[in-house]
Amino acid sequence: MKRLLVALLPVALLWARTESEEVPTSFILEHVKDSYDWHITDIPWGRNPDGSRHYIPIAIPLPRILYHPQRGLSVFFVHGHSEEEIKTELEKHGYTLGADGKIAAIDCQPTLDLSLTKTAFQLIIVGLLLLWIGRSAAIAYQKSQNGLPTGIGRLLEPVVLFIRDEVAVPNLHHHANRFMPLLLTVFFFIWLSNLFGLTPLNSNIMGNITLTFFLALVAFIIIHINASKSYWAHIFWYPGVPVWLKLFMMPIELVGMLSKPFALMMRLFANILAGHLMMLSIVGLIFILAAVLKSTAAGLGISIFSVLLGLFVMALETLVAALQAYIFTMLSAVFLGMALEESH
Amino acid sequence: MWLEAGNTVHYLGAALGAGLAVIGAGIGIGTLASSALQGIARQPSAAGDIRNNMILTAALVEGVALIAEVVAILIVFLK
Repeated sequence: MKRLLVALLPVALLWARTESEEVPTSFILEHVKDSYDWHITDIPWGRNPDGSRHYIPIAIPLPRILYHPQRGLSVFFVHGHSEEEIKTELEKHGYTLGADGKIAAIDCQPTLDLSLTKTAFQLIIVGLLLLWIGRSAAIAYQKSQNGLPTGIGRLLEPVVLFIRDEVAVPNLHHHANRFMPLLLTVFFFIWLSNLFGLTPLNSNIMGNITLTFFLALVAFIIIHINASKSYWAHIFWYPGVPVWLKLFMMPIELVGMLSKPFALMMRLFANILAGHLMMLSIVGLIFILAAVLKSTAAGLGISIFSVLLGLFVMALETLVAALQAYIFTMLSAVFLGMALEESH
Repeated sequence: MWLEAGNTVHYLGAALGAGLAVIGAGIGIGTLASSALQGIARQPSAAGDIRNNMILTAALVEGVALIAEVVAILIVFLK
């Protein structure tokens, strides 16, 4: 019974938000996009003077950090949700909204927008969480008398051993220990971020292509810093084939070199985005159907189906969260292993 | 009829694209899984290696399909 209530909670929260006439699809985009405040949900509280429902937003405002070449750095909070309100608030500080919806200076100077956005803020939270988990595991090992882990170390040991024995050693051989910190960081960071995205806290960290781009860039740089001579030879001057074929192979190998990190970036981004969109669409179907057919009964009827399917998708997403982290780590290790290989 | 539906025709394109990509990925992963299971049935001791390679290849097949799905999503969102 308790579990059922927990499963129904997000539905109830969404229900509270969608009393209006319009078909409620905006919350899907709101979840997927990055934003300047961390908006978790709205709670209906009383009525406005004109009879409509009044909502109290549960949100964390995040600071705007803007850099202007003359005026320097300015940090301030912006209150208000509509474009007009945001514009007037920004103008107090000498900035305005450009035609493309981005922040621009009033005197048309190029500005740098370093604002802490939703994703960046959640990224820091996950990073700190990871730091705390890693440190407490390390301390648990230091304190133990017989070398056996206690507490959180006991939880992490099988995962760390799995990464070492199944991912690092088969691909990197004697280089494995050098790259274990990288692989473990990547694995736990992606896993924890994905799990954080499954909580009802409006978080979509790995569903942000900028973030996965930089993860893939890190992998790309690490691979190419450590690449052996024979790896570069195989890209630019393929050994053991006639000259015309060497010239023909070079662009193909170059594309292959760039497409590997590109695939890493796209796979993680698309998997997580697809999971979140699927979940939101299944739950949103209740309200979309109720709004389109203008009947609460239709919404109630579909909600049985939606909640069951939503639970299934949620279970699947819990698996995907770990699987994508594993695949990213595994593929990084495979590409790294290919690059490290000496000629034979 | 197509000209009248000019504003919404990109939805059709996105839906068709998403569906076709899923067909490709389905065939790919299905073939892969069937071969891997046959391999495991013939050589149960190699199950671990085969499973690892299967997941890796499935990720590669899936990656291509997901790129197509992202293109379909972009058609809808960026139109």
